[in-house]
Amino acid sequence: MSIGRYLSIGAGVVTALLVGALLFYIDTRESVLTRVLAACVIGSAVSALHWFVMGSFAAELRHITEYAESLGRSDNTPTDISSSRRRQARRGMHDLADAISRSVGTLRQRVDSLVANRRELEVQLRISDAERQHAEAILNAISDAVIVTDAFNELALANESAERLLRFDLEQSIRKPVDDIITDQLLVKLIKDTREGACGFSSQSSNGSGQLRRHVEHRMPAPRRDAAVFDVTLAGITGQKDSPAGPTAHQAAETAGVVTILRDVTREKEISEMKSNFVSSVSHELRTPLSSIKAYVEMLIDGEAPDEETQHEFYNIIQSETNRLQRLIDNILNISRIESGVVKTQREHISLPELIREAIDVMLPQARAKQIELVDVPTPVFFQVFADKDMIYQALLNLIGNAIKYTPGGGDGRVCVSVSVDEHDNTVNVSVSDNGVGIPKDDLPNLFDKFYRVNDHKKIAKGTGLGLNLVKQIVETVHDGKVFATSQPDTGSTFTFSLPMAENGY
Amino acid sequence: MDNDKTILIVDDESHILHVLDLKLSNAGFNVVTAEDGEEAFEIAIDKTPDLVITDYQMPVMNGLELSQKLRENDSTSSTPILMLTARGANLAEGDIDETNIAAVLSKPFSPREILARVQKLVEWRKSA
Repeated sequence: MSIGRYLSIGAGVVTALLVGALLFYIDTRESVLTRVLAACVIGSAVSALHWFVMGSFAAELRHITEYAESLGRSDNTPTDISSSRRRQARRGMHDLADAISRSVGTLRQRVDSLVANRRELEVQLRISDAERQHAEAILNAISDAVIVTDAFNELALANESAERLLRFDLEQSIRKPVDDIITDQLLVKLIKDTREGACGFSSQSSNGSGQLRRHVEHRMPAPRRDAAVFDVTLAGITGQKDSPAGPTAHQAAETAGVVTILRDVTREKEISEMKSNFVSSVSHELRTPLSSIKAYVEMLIDGEAPDEETQHEFYNIIQSETNRLQRLIDNILNISRIESGVVKTQREHISLPELIREAIDVMLPQARAKQIELVDVPTPVFFQVFADKDMIYQALLNLIGNAIKYTPGGGDGRVCVSVSVDEHDNTVNVSVSDNGVGIPKDDLPNLFDKFYRVNDHKKIAKGTGLGLNLVKQIVETVHDGKVFATSQPDTGSTFTFSLPMAENGY
Repeated sequence: MDNDKTILIVDDESHILHVLDLKLSNAGFNVVTAEDGEEAFEIAIDKTPDLVITDYQMPVMNGLELSQKLRENDSTSSTPILMLTARGANLAEGDIDETNIAAVLSKPFSPREILARVQKLVEWRKSA
């Protein structure tokens, strides 16, 4: 039996006792039995009424509870439960039920919107995380060094190029003063000056979105190099964060900083210098033979060559200087033609030992003038390549010419041209060796670059730095061969080029 | 004939040396030649020429270095110099300030013009 029923019986008994006592007290004419019976009847009626009321009340409460519970469950589908329960609940306490229902509904809406907000925030967090990673990836993909400093001249952001260039570890350096991170004091000063300039600019700019940019050319050490030239762009960030409450002083300070971008322009500088040197060098090389031609022609016109022998000498000089001019122009044009891919090649089967002989015959007068021995290593084999004869001939002349140029004359000098076959690679190798001044080790990698000249060689002989580049272009670009040099300073150099052997080459 | 005047010609191009030698010799000058700045300086100390014609770009010591050294040396400190250059505008304005370079002539040059300049400079120096 439930507590409700005990309460109903209890209420009936208490009512019967009270009614009985009242009847005894107010009316003494009726018999005792009648009064007891009357009290019992009234007590029972009260008990029954109580039972009924309590019962329906408890049922109502249960319905409401169930309804509320059903609403509170997260996996609910409340429509039919709520409508059936609500019908029952309306009996008696439907106002209360409605009120609770409304509250629960409101609460549910709030929970739903909170859950939706949370999901939205999670999505936004993921998006912003992805965006941050994306931005970091972009920043790190930039080969220029990028450093971002804040209003307190502390490091806020940097990319990997900056870490490498300025030799710091980003994780350990973040939020540390730039003075502690960057050792180059001029660069630190530039950053600080730009920030101060940016602050001043910001105070003048009403919307705060103005930017201060500076470009500075700066020379400083770089990894693996003593000095490199950098184009430094410094941009003051003066924009303020959007905030409904308006930017506070702190927020403004947070966003005022400097973005510093360091672009290595050493190579561009070198190329531009090379170009202007080339123009200057070509100009010099063109003017020199032209000077002789002009001077000797004028001498002939002025009758300053008294005898026929002198006149003949002048004609010869004019001819040789004209040839020299032609060679220079040919070299420049050949390189440009090969480089631009418009060169026409006439390939044929050529015998390298024969071609070497021809080249040696042409170069012999030059070697003899310096008392340098110029020889080829005789070979009985008929090494053949399928190549452009004129071009290979030109390459041979350039290599032999260089060997004579950079070998001291006077008797001990020797230039030797040899040819051999590499059966493993199926190539024919031609080597030009000398016992001349040699080439410093540091110059070897750049030797075949256009316009490149070994510093120590500039005083020994003139040149445009085009000869070896032309050899490289002829051998490698046109004939798919290979050219390289080995050298020992003061002992001599050997230049070797290899060409693919023709089928049935020998 | 000005056969008492000595001209030193310096150029690493033998053909240029030869043609100038001939032109000035024909005009009656004593001509001495050198193929680089260092050799030229030694000859200048020895012969104290009345005028020096030098190329700018030469191995070992270039024409400008030679001119500076000649100016610093007592016996050649006032020797006028004619400079030839195939480099066009390669000489900076201030470069010739501390030297006795009287004129810079660009290559290709005219031997007649060189002779005229040499005669003028030597005459001017004689009258000075």
